[in-house]
Formats: sequence, structure tokens, C-alpha cells
Amino acid sequence: MTDWLGMSVPPRTPRPELKGRVLARALARGRRWPLALAAALVVVAGGGGSLWWAHGRIDALGAERDRLAARVAALEDTVSSFIHDPATRLIQVPVSTGGRVGSVTIFVDSTRHRWLVRCEGLAPNARDQTYQLWFVTDKGMQPAALMLMDRDQPMVMGLPLPQAGERVMGAAMSIEPRAGSASPSGPIVFRVGL
Amino acid sequence: MRRLKARDEHALQELYDALAPWVLGLAYRILHDEDAAEEVVGDVFVKVWRGVHKHDPDRGPLVPWILSIARNRALDELRRRQRWWRKAERWGQARGATGAGEEVANPGPHEAAVPGWPLHREVHAALATLPDELRRVVMLAYFEGLSHSQIARRLQQPLGTVKTRLRAAHQKLTDQLAHLKDWLE
Repeated sequence: MTDWLGMSVPPRTPRPELKGRVLARALARGRRWPLALAAALVVVAGGGGSLWWAHGRIDALGAERDRLAARVAALEDTVSSFIHDPATRLIQVPVSTGGRVGSVTIFVDSTRHRWLVRCEGLAPNARDQTYQLWFVTDKGMQPAALMLMDRDQPMVMGLPLPQAGERVMGAAMSIEPRAGSASPSGPIVFRVGL
Repeated sequence: MRRLKARDEHALQELYDALAPWVLGLAYRILHDEDAAEEVVGDVFVKVWRGVHKHDPDRGPLVPWILSIARNRALDELRRRQRWWRKAERWGQARGATGAGEEVANPGPHEAAVPGWPLHREVHAALATLPDELRRVVMLAYFEGLSHSQIARRLQQPLGTVKTRLRAAHQKLTDQLAHLKDWLE
């Protein structure tokens, strides 16, 4: 009877564009077999040359898949090393952008002198703007990275810390022109000490 | 159901109109992330369209079957995210053990025009009648997908107590909801 429990949650109105996306996805999969059959017929009709081309294409796609899988594995490895290293500190900063509440999470790996930064729930940038992350050092604010948020999705980025000679004491984020700035010139989104 | 099994695409559209708000609501309740919840909605309707022939009406109505697909898919996503962010959770990102209270508060009346609303009211009311200690274990099991032993650890209660409470809650809900039927044809 717990099967009905899902109905205890209030409904949420889906965004209008979701319907088209969902139905297209569902129906495209339903039509996969006829499409696959048609594709197979085309390949057969095309003769050996087409078959050879298709074979090469499959090899190329397979290689691309393997390359992407290796990149994902490497990324997972990097993220995992950040998250599970006992020397890693975590700083979470709630931020408000464009009327939305989001967060910036910084994993500080003091052993390897690097940060992993995750932004979530930030308002997408205007067309000519970007978020810029700054290292707050004893010699002032140093550019760390541009974090362009064109889409309403979380972003994760690994950053090496500045070379020796500058002591990083905190982090900050501001909204800058899309090409970035040498020093903060736009609104500060947050500033936090380590 | 017959039209879905006959691959009537209009039936799928009608099913989406009737159930998408509930599937999205459930997925959002579990994931607290609109984008991820929308992904779940897509996955659910793809799975329903492709696998509707697997649904056995003798074993239960269509709506709970679809909601169980949504719940399982959302919990899979939740667990995947938790694996990545376990450390962050240790610093307090995890939702509180007793976050259930606000979730059973009555939603606004403006949504009463949504298809299926009377059924929602009944399930909501049944859940609300459970004593706090029973409702809490149900919420943790259903919406967070926790096992009995995980619930026991979370609530710092003996495993036997958790099992007993879940059994009691299940029995009470069964008694109260046994008469429910799909509002879909």
C-alpha cells in the first residue's frame, strides 16, 4: 500500500517545454526499431563501400567513447581524491544571485595546493557577463578562474593555487565582463576567508 | 491502459498531462533539484511507454506502478549524488533526519484543479493520521530510500523498534488506502 505514498506529495507544475522534450524522447525510442531497420536496409543497399564507411565510423565512435570514458574516469578520480583526502577542508558559501539562492562549495586541498570549486543554483549569466573567482591573497585579489554559467546547471572546476610567494587567505567571486578582469570591477557575489 | 498498450501516442500525451505534475512533485521531494527531477520525469515516461506491457493490472493500478518507477529512479539519482557528496553531507549538507514534518503540511488550495487531487488529499490525510514516530520511519524509508538499519542509525533507535513501527505504519496505511483506485481510465 506504500505504493500510493507518492501521491502524498503536492504536485508541481512542469515547465511547458518539458512536455515536448519528454514525449519526443519517449516516442523516439519507441520508433527506434523501424529506424534501425531502415538504417540497416540503407547500409545493405549501399553495398560494400557504405559498409566499410559504417565500420570505420563505428570504430571512430568507439574510440571517442573510450576517450570520453577515460576522461570521466580521470575526473572522478580527481574529484574522489579531493573528497576523500582527510587533508581536504570544505567551505560552503551560500550565495544569492538574480533573486535565487545557490551555493559555492570549495574543497581546499592544502597538500597538493589546489581547490575544487562547485557552483550550484547561481543565476545564469547575462550574455556579456561571467562569474569570476578570485584568490584573496596577502598581495590583493588574484584572478582564479572564469566560471561562465550559460545554463542553469551546476559547474565543477579544479584550480591550482598561485605559485609560492603569495599566501591565499580566502576566496571571492564577482560578476565581470565576459572576457574577465584583472581585478574585481563588478558586483561581489561573495567573499570568504579560509 | 489499453490505448497505451496499443501504442496510441495521444494516450501517452494524456498520461503525461495527468501524471507529470505528480511524478515531478515526487521526484523533486526526493531530490530537491528541479533539473534532476525533470530528468526523472523524462526517464519515467520513456520507461512507461516502452514497458507498459509489463504492467499487470491484477497486481495493482497504473498510477502506483508509475509512481514506484519515479521513486526508484529518483532514489537511484539521490544515491549517486550522495556517493559524490558524502563528505559535504558530513559538514551538514544532508537533510535533517526529521525533515518529514513540513512535507505533510497541507498544500495550497489553488492546486485543487489538478487531476488526481482528491486522491492526493486521501493519501495525505492517511499519512497525517499516523503518529509522529510511525510517520517519520515511513518518510525516511519511502522518500530517502533508507534501509531498516539505516533508519535505526539515523533515529538512534533499536532496529526492532524501527521494524515494528514500519509494520504498524504499513498496516494502518493499507487499511486506510485499500479502497483507492486510479482516476485514469
